[in-house]
Amino acid sequence: MTVQIPVETLHPTIQMLSDEQIQAIHHTSLDILSRTGIVMKNEVGRELLLDAGAWESEGRIKLPPHLVMGAIASAPSRIPLFNRLGELTMPLEAGKVFFGPGSDCPFTIDLETGQRRQATAEDGRRSANLCDGLDQIDFIMSMGTPSDVPPLDHYLHSFINMIRGSVKPNVYTANNREDMEDMYRIACAVAGGETELREKPFLLHYAEPISPLLFNEESVDKLLFCAEKGIPVTYLPSPNTGGGGPITLAGALALGNAECLAGLVLSQLVRPGTPFLYGMNTAALDMKSAIVSYGSPEWPLGMAACTDLARCYDLPVWGTAGATDSKLVDAQAGIEATVSVMAAFLCRCNLVHDVGYIEYGTTSSMEMLVVADEIIREVRYVMGGVEVSQRTLAREAIHRARPGGGFLADDHTLDNWKWAQWRPALIDRLRYDNWVEKGCQDMTTRANERARQILAEHEVPPLPEATEEVIAEVLREREAIRE
Amino acid sequence: MHPKSNILEQIASNLYSGEDKVVADLVQQSLDQGMSPAEILNGGLIAGMDEVGKDFKAGDLFVPEVLIAARAMHAGMNVLRPLLAESDVPSAGKYVIGTVQGDLHDIGKNLVKMMLEGAGFETVDLGTDVRPDDFVAAVREHQPQLLGMSALLTTTMPGMKATIEALQEAGLRDEVKIMVGGAPVTTAFAEQIGADAYAPDAATAVDVARSLTA
Repeated sequence: MTVQIPVETLHPTIQMLSDEQIQAIHHTSLDILSRTGIVMKNEVGRELLLDAGAWESEGRIKLPPHLVMGAIASAPSRIPLFNRLGELTMPLEAGKVFFGPGSDCPFTIDLETGQRRQATAEDGRRSANLCDGLDQIDFIMSMGTPSDVPPLDHYLHSFINMIRGSVKPNVYTANNREDMEDMYRIACAVAGGETELREKPFLLHYAEPISPLLFNEESVDKLLFCAEKGIPVTYLPSPNTGGGGPITLAGALALGNAECLAGLVLSQLVRPGTPFLYGMNTAALDMKSAIVSYGSPEWPLGMAACTDLARCYDLPVWGTAGATDSKLVDAQAGIEATVSVMAAFLCRCNLVHDVGYIEYGTTSSMEMLVVADEIIREVRYVMGGVEVSQRTLAREAIHRARPGGGFLADDHTLDNWKWAQWRPALIDRLRYDNWVEKGCQDMTTRANERARQILAEHEVPPLPEATEEVIAEVLREREAIRE
Repeated sequence: MHPKSNILEQIASNLYSGEDKVVADLVQQSLDQGMSPAEILNGGLIAGMDEVGKDFKAGDLFVPEVLIAARAMHAGMNVLRPLLAESDVPSAGKYVIGTVQGDLHDIGKNLVKMMLEGAGFETVDLGTDVRPDDFVAAVREHQPQLLGMSALLTTTMPGMKATIEALQEAGLRDEVKIMVGGAPVTTAFAEQIGADAYAPDAATAVDVARSLTA
């Protein structure tokens, strides 16, 4: 037989919204922006919008639809992110899915004692180091708010510890423009200059308005700074259902979409083509405890819907998965992380954060990170679909098999077993006796051991000396200002 | 290093990595150098399979890797077998094995058989759905040191007890050590039916068989 066209493998996807639903949400968002309007606390932002054709009435800035549509058109549909060694490792573009932790938890679970305690600067470096050693984690966020440094330097130290602890691209947060400038100086030193940083960005900034419809001074300032410098940025509202957003998910989506698009407009007014990551956080505000639920099914549901909106706008998209409301790494944590990771993959959300959060995002857990790493590995395999080809149909092996005799020792098994099955790294499949012999360990115990092992063995290339000099300079200047 | 032990180590390490053609060549070379079949069998092939069994038991090897090594063992044995028959080398022991009456599953039983052969046991495989009388006849005919019975189904496990009773009636029970295995089988069950031992997996089965014949 001549060479025939192979049978393509189907990789499963989900679509949450119909075209009609997308249009209904989109038009509601445009209506919110042009008739309800936003409250803009940042003067530069206000001027930018008014100069571009927005108007002010009843204390609100109102944005006409053409302004929004123009911004959607001018933003890039792809954001290439590099590691700090200059290698392209995270092209945020249609069809690709990347995972990483969340940022700024006040507490962490101590890996040695198991106690919940305040996070430190060293925890930040260690969690970055662990993420660097986990092969299913693509980017870094600073998981803990460092309680052992001056409050105004929290974000700066978090940033420094992320780049010291890992080479992977990072998503960073900041307090204000001063933070942004200091971090930019350090980032330029890492990349080798402003131009080099713009050409090969290894970082993306995360700023957020306050839902509903409040655009505060600092968050807009940080957004504008990124647009000025060409730093990839996301401006993420959190219209959590019943809290920052209406209790119903569609309303939350329409509101979050309006807020995110207003941020997009600002970024494109400063510099058309500013790399902007679209998205929103759609957790549920729990009606019993009033916590923002990180394990709620509304979040993956909202993430998939948000991804459909992003696809319609041809913009890369932000999402959330691998987090839990549980205070422990237990069955609930496994359920909530698996449902959200599966949803993130199925909808092809591009940058998925908050992996490793427990206690509704208040506490970070290295064990949870390691467990989620395994969940991502397994779900990624499911997303691979079923290859249907000559080698996988195993026609000859079936023909030669002795009925009832099995395939275990067949040449087809011996030739293909290495790739034909998924093999767990952390999930237990030991025979009972062996499991007892190895101490009857549950998954969290094994995750703890693996985390310790990675931290003990994994090596990260240190920052160049010139970068460490700039860091020392920045910290000295901070110290001088305090005195 | 002594050239003799060097070539035996090469046989063992090539067997471990499943290089069947290399193993066959090395066995032939060893014979050409004047080494005895028993020396090659014990010092090369079985030594290699012992490493495989040890690492499999420790969880460092996968089943196909064991089978690929067993394939290499066979390649070496094909060269040695005619000479072994002539030179009357004592085997590790004779082992009659089968899946009990009513049960047609033999993937696990075959794995045990392969590991036993790798350890130098001479096996007589009765296949699946073996009636108690057929086990008795095989024990009478082959006079093995060991009898192994496998069952996958809880409904066929009583076949093990029936076989042991049939051996008692035939006056052969004390002539042979009896091992049982299979997914639903436990140590407690083995004791309850009067078997001599239970092994949870193929690598352990070899250790148990060795200790029973020691």
